[in-house]
Amino acid sequence: MATIKFNDVTKAFDNGKITVIPGLSLEIKDKEFVVLVGPSGCGKSTTLRMIAGLEDITSGELFIDDKKVNNIPPKDRDIAMVFQSYALYPHMSVYKNMAFALKLKKMPKTEIDEKVRWAAKILDIEPYLDRKPRALSGGQRQRVALGRAMVRNPKVFLLDEPLSNLDAKLRTEMRSQITMLHKRLETTFVYVTHDQTEAMTMADRIVVMDKGVIQQFDTPQKLYSEPANMFVAGFIGSPQMNFIDAAVVEEKGALKARFCGFSVNIPKDKAKYMKEYIGKDIVIGIRPEHIFSAGEAEVKNKAPITVSVEIAEMTGSETNVYFELGGKRHIARIKAEERINQGDLLKLYIDENEIRYFDKETTLAI
Amino acid sequence: MKSKSSFREALTYIFLFILALAFLAPIAIIIMNSVKGNFYISQSPFSIPNYETFVGAENFIKGFKQSDFMKSFFNSAFITFFSVAGIVLMTSMTAWFIVRVKNKLTKLLYYLFVFSMIVPFQMVMYTMTYYAFELNLNNRIGIIFIYLGFGAGLSVFMFSGFIKSIPTEIEEAATIDGCSPVKTFFLIVFPILKPTAITVAILNAMWIWNDYLLPYLVLGSGEGKTLPVAVQMALTGGYGNKDMGALMAMLVLAILPIIIFYLFCQKYIIRGVAAGAVKG
Repeated sequence: MATIKFNDVTKAFDNGKITVIPGLSLEIKDKEFVVLVGPSGCGKSTTLRMIAGLEDITSGELFIDDKKVNNIPPKDRDIAMVFQSYALYPHMSVYKNMAFALKLKKMPKTEIDEKVRWAAKILDIEPYLDRKPRALSGGQRQRVALGRAMVRNPKVFLLDEPLSNLDAKLRTEMRSQITMLHKRLETTFVYVTHDQTEAMTMADRIVVMDKGVIQQFDTPQKLYSEPANMFVAGFIGSPQMNFIDAAVVEEKGALKARFCGFSVNIPKDKAKYMKEYIGKDIVIGIRPEHIFSAGEAEVKNKAPITVSVEIAEMTGSETNVYFELGGKRHIARIKAEERINQGDLLKLYIDENEIRYFDKETTLAI
Repeated sequence: MKSKSSFREALTYIFLFILALAFLAPIAIIIMNSVKGNFYISQSPFSIPNYETFVGAENFIKGFKQSDFMKSFFNSAFITFFSVAGIVLMTSMTAWFIVRVKNKLTKLLYYLFVFSMIVPFQMVMYTMTYYAFELNLNNRIGIIFIYLGFGAGLSVFMFSGFIKSIPTEIEEAATIDGCSPVKTFFLIVFPILKPTAITVAILNAMWIWNDYLLPYLVLGSGEGKTLPVAVQMALTGGYGNKDMGALMAMLVLAILPIIIFYLFCQKYIIRGVAAGAVKG
């Protein structure tokens, strides 16, 4: 069992002058794969490093398995960490890199050998055990780093942007390998990344962070479909959600959101929360994949808009259409049968059921 | 275009060849004269030994007999070995601390070490000699501490530069693996520093082995005299009646260990031992 619990943890640098984590409360379940995601400088790596014991906690409490670890050194926390830069010992062979921690624990040689070969077999690095890290490719080095963590059989696996230095193809390959590893080892994984695709594809639950504050902690599906605020809505999903300023109006007993000369019907299930916003400004969020072209399959409750195409990017089966609305550039991902050119007037349809509404002042979801 | 660049290349090679000759000539002359008779050394110092001028190992035997060669050789070896070992060990640890612990004190320390490099020895030699005698450092062990002080500046500077390029993640990985700071240094950091440590060792060994002024001031020409002082004593020993052959033989023997040391260490200077540790 390995749960991780942050109890109002803060982290400040420079004698309290710079607060990176203003107060973090978070509970990670046993055997869970949790991904910390957010833009650079949001405090995700600092959070991971606090779990590892590489950063002191300024205030608050951190528990691993119900044991307070604030003052416990990294080696006694029963954790293993994989670094972005691999952090392999350059003067040691792959075998020695993997055996190093076990040797320090004074484990018998036969047991060390058994564990190293077990991990090497799983990670498919057996032929490279005698090589030095410099003689390995990026993907192989990353697997050695994973192996070094695996042999320790830790309670918690910490991974700090482990795939950032790999090329796109290898990253996809390693992504599935890490997911499989999690299933195989049945250990708690805490993974840091700034890549939301990585987060969405690997995590059981995702922590979205910004400026040291948790914006939302939920399953990937929930983050996508029910973002708690505009930050999460904008961060999760690629291309990112379109935000358009709108006003809530009541017409013939039905609520509508008006923007740039167009209007969309607010579904009845959402209308009850929207009543207090009548006559007020809000922000509507529309994901690019929820905007359709005329030729696409019938969409119920669709609201038409006509836009002038600024740029059209053909990505294969789909086309990303950039257009301007309300002084801001937006994007629609549509299935276009014909070639779309710059300056074309295009009629698009917004799926009214998939529109998200946000309070303009608080940026929170309504 | 091509002929112009190849002409320039040829000129560069000629220049470098002349330069190499200029540097190697004194050593070659010493080696040649170390196996020649005294008369021929003064008559034709630049000639290659032949059946007439060649005296075999005679000069070497005389050199051994005439001076305290073995004693001063041992003194030089003892002082050089322990000074270099001390410098490499202490300054690498100091540099690691200075680079990794960032505060005002370490910054000041770093600048003091760098500053010590630009202070000429001649400026401090009298006060240093005075305090060396006051503190009873005027012996073979005491002079090691003095060398440690004089060698620290450049060595800390060199180690600091290299340590800055070692990713801290490697040390953090060692910490998580169960290393204490001392173990992290000796098991992880120091092996990575090996190329720099060897360079620092070569530079300091050459300096200490060949140094004349400091051991002369501190140890004098008595029991503890080092090889350069012993050679100097042999040179000035008999006015108007110098045994140049023995002197040349002593010089050859004096430079031999340091050349062997350099050649031995050179193969260990493998650049980029840290390559492969991190991304790239």
